[in-house]
Amino acid sequence: MMKMRKRMKSTAAILLSASLALGLLSGCQGKDTSSGQTAENSRADSDSVIIAMDPNSEPEAGFDPAYGWGAGEHVHEPLIQSTLTVTNTDLTIGYDLATDYSVSEDGMTWTVTIRDDVNFTDGEPLTAEDVAFTYNTVKEASAVNDFTMLDYAEAADSTTAVFHMTRPFSIWPYTMAIVGIVPEHAYDSATYGSNPIGSGRYILRQWDRGQQVILEANPDYYGEAPKMRQVTILFMEEDAAFLAAQAGQVDVAYTSATYSDQTVEGYSLASYASVDNRGFNLPAVPSGTDEEGRTVGNDFTSDVLVRRAINIGVDRQEMIDNVLNGYGSPAYSVCDGLPWYNEASEVEYDPEAAAALLDEAGWTMGDDGVREKNGVKAEMNLLYSTGDSVRQALTADFAAQMEELGISCTIEGAGWDTAYDRALSEPLLWGWGAHTPMELYNIYHTIDGTDSAEYSPYSNSTVDGYMDQALASNDLEESYELWKLSQWDGSTGVTQDGDIPWVWLVNIDHLYWVREGLQVADQKIHPHGHGWSLVNNVDQWTWTERNDEL
Amino acid sequence: MKSYGNGTEYNGKGKNRRKSTILFLAAAVVILGAVTVSGIFLEGTATETDFSRTNLAPGAGGLFGTDWMGRDMFARTLAGLSLSIRIGIVTAAVSAVIALLAGTAAATLGRKADAVISWCIDLVMGIPHILLVMLISIACGRGFAGVVAGVALSHWPSLARVIRGEVIQLRQAPYILVAEKLGASKLQNVRRHMLPHLLPQFLTGLILLFPHAILHEASVTFLGFGLSSEQPAIGVILSESMQYLTTGRWWLALFPGLALVLAVVLFALLGERLRQLMDPSSVHE
Repeated sequence: MMKMRKRMKSTAAILLSASLALGLLSGCQGKDTSSGQTAENSRADSDSVIIAMDPNSEPEAGFDPAYGWGAGEHVHEPLIQSTLTVTNTDLTIGYDLATDYSVSEDGMTWTVTIRDDVNFTDGEPLTAEDVAFTYNTVKEASAVNDFTMLDYAEAADSTTAVFHMTRPFSIWPYTMAIVGIVPEHAYDSATYGSNPIGSGRYILRQWDRGQQVILEANPDYYGEAPKMRQVTILFMEEDAAFLAAQAGQVDVAYTSATYSDQTVEGYSLASYASVDNRGFNLPAVPSGTDEEGRTVGNDFTSDVLVRRAINIGVDRQEMIDNVLNGYGSPAYSVCDGLPWYNEASEVEYDPEAAAALLDEAGWTMGDDGVREKNGVKAEMNLLYSTGDSVRQALTADFAAQMEELGISCTIEGAGWDTAYDRALSEPLLWGWGAHTPMELYNIYHTIDGTDSAEYSPYSNSTVDGYMDQALASNDLEESYELWKLSQWDGSTGVTQDGDIPWVWLVNIDHLYWVREGLQVADQKIHPHGHGWSLVNNVDQWTWTERNDEL
Repeated sequence: MKSYGNGTEYNGKGKNRRKSTILFLAAAVVILGAVTVSGIFLEGTATETDFSRTNLAPGAGGLFGTDWMGRDMFARTLAGLSLSIRIGIVTAAVSAVIALLAGTAAATLGRKADAVISWCIDLVMGIPHILLVMLISIACGRGFAGVVAGVALSHWPSLARVIRGEVIQLRQAPYILVAEKLGASKLQNVRRHMLPHLLPQFLTGLILLFPHAILHEASVTFLGFGLSSEQPAIGVILSESMQYLTTGRWWLALFPGLALVLAVVLFALLGERLRQLMDPSSVHE
């Protein structure tokens, strides 16, 4: 009986989706009618949703976890595949496939037991063999993410997977939350990306490259059945997404502060908090040349008092009001609001104190309003990634604020092909924010065998020590405390009273046009990347009413 | 070559086409010069942001309105045009010199040189212009240097071909043959007899290169392979304005676009009129 109803439901879903697809096509032709009263939309059923996403969100290599799906630059839940763990809304660790996990005393072995009632969508059971195969494959491919901490994975029995590490890695559960498990018997790296088989909440039904992805609820899902039975993702540019919302062709459309002063009839502007932060690196060593011939360091920002002055001399709220139309929050670290965030990072805007710090450092105000010290002008050339209007505006605003402090700034757009090298000597506006403390490590930890962190010259052995201890810890809760200490331990760190090698400015709220009547489930704080994070819990979205006819 | 006497009866208004052309030329040069100079002075204003005055329509926000960072669009447009014109001058000059050298060399240095140069001309002309500009610009690291190199190195072939044809024709001209018989060396011949003859064609070609150079600079920048986005260039302004068109901020694209068209048309007319002035066949009009 149950099964029959399910089948009927899925037949209905297929029919409806077909009509929906047709409606979409005709909707495209009739784009000039901006009123949005397309007859097709009223036929849309109450358990499907159409979402417009940025074209960059389309996974280039398909839906293969080994090539960046879910675990790429922008992390999110893989939807099609199951993961061992999940991150809860407060970013602590919960279970998906796993029923329990433990780590050995020395942190070198992780043992994870998994459920025994899970099948892939092709009917085969998911076992610990598949888990081991997945992790070994992902490590081997290492296409996007760093898996060097994993030595190899093996299955002890059908429900127990064992991970052997190359070094202690206490935040392994966060890695386990983004790696989707693939079936060993049906995995071919050449075809899996476009034809994925998983055990997750959704099945990939259709993928038209460059256009859309249609996901359909997995009828045999072991967890709670998805309430949204069909999810269509359309990839479109921001202005096209805005027009699509105006025309009533999508239920959810991503947007940005640029459009936030507009209104779209029948839609509300939803704003979700994020750790999608923006901040400048401030090279912490004097200017020099490295063995590769690159310029490293900056004579102005190498002065710690200058960096502190910049950190308290920038009015973050003004920046949010001006550039983000109010849709953002001040950022004081790379991980604001996450369990490993140290509140000591927070500072008050205080231009007088900033000026006093600059005076103390010997940078005295010249006649032309620019400070100087021993005949050297206080100057910065601020870089931003070219083509990103929000970053450009943030940089321009930051430059204007610095001018008031007596620091002369020029701004320059740079492509990512040169930006990484140039950031070694000049401040660059970066965007970070992920659901893992590893980000702190990536930014502040000295690279082994060198005397500097990766993206901006900086090194502090005490900070390194706390992070090494945190990774070696075999208790996650305890490691959070160590991550906090690495930011500020009372005497040193990367905060205002410490070395402040990066100045963090804002967390950018993620904005969406959401059709009235659609209940988007509670969102975890969004990481960097304005894309798939939104649909992490699309299975729990509901319609209170469909009022497409406006 | 019909003579109208002194030309005063030609249009009955007291001045002939020649005079009005000279007047037009002077006016065009003054306008373009004024734009170029004012643009240089306005560069500071053009990049100044004022977040209290963002997205204002023309009127409240100055003559051309303001953009999303509160920058004055009038200043940006002038600065952008000025930058375009300066790039145009540099690139057109470089292109024209390349064309002159290549054209004369092809025509005077013998068959082998001619074959090589003609092959080069065909090669460069065979690649779509905008593509070539983009490729060279990327190879030279984009930015100002990239655009200048890209435009300068891609606009010479058509003029080179014209000059080559002209020189080949000249070589058979009786007075050149006579000069040769009288023992004038090749170089002397080129300098004394050929170049003066080529000058009108060359100058006209040079000026007619401007509109192409300016448009190509703007397009390659528009596509994101040219000038950097913080520079006030027309291409940057236009590509930025694209994302605001859907929200009804028409002034961001309209005025800068019109200004670009006007500047290009002025240059085109300038070249055309100059040709009329210098071309012996229309000397009495």
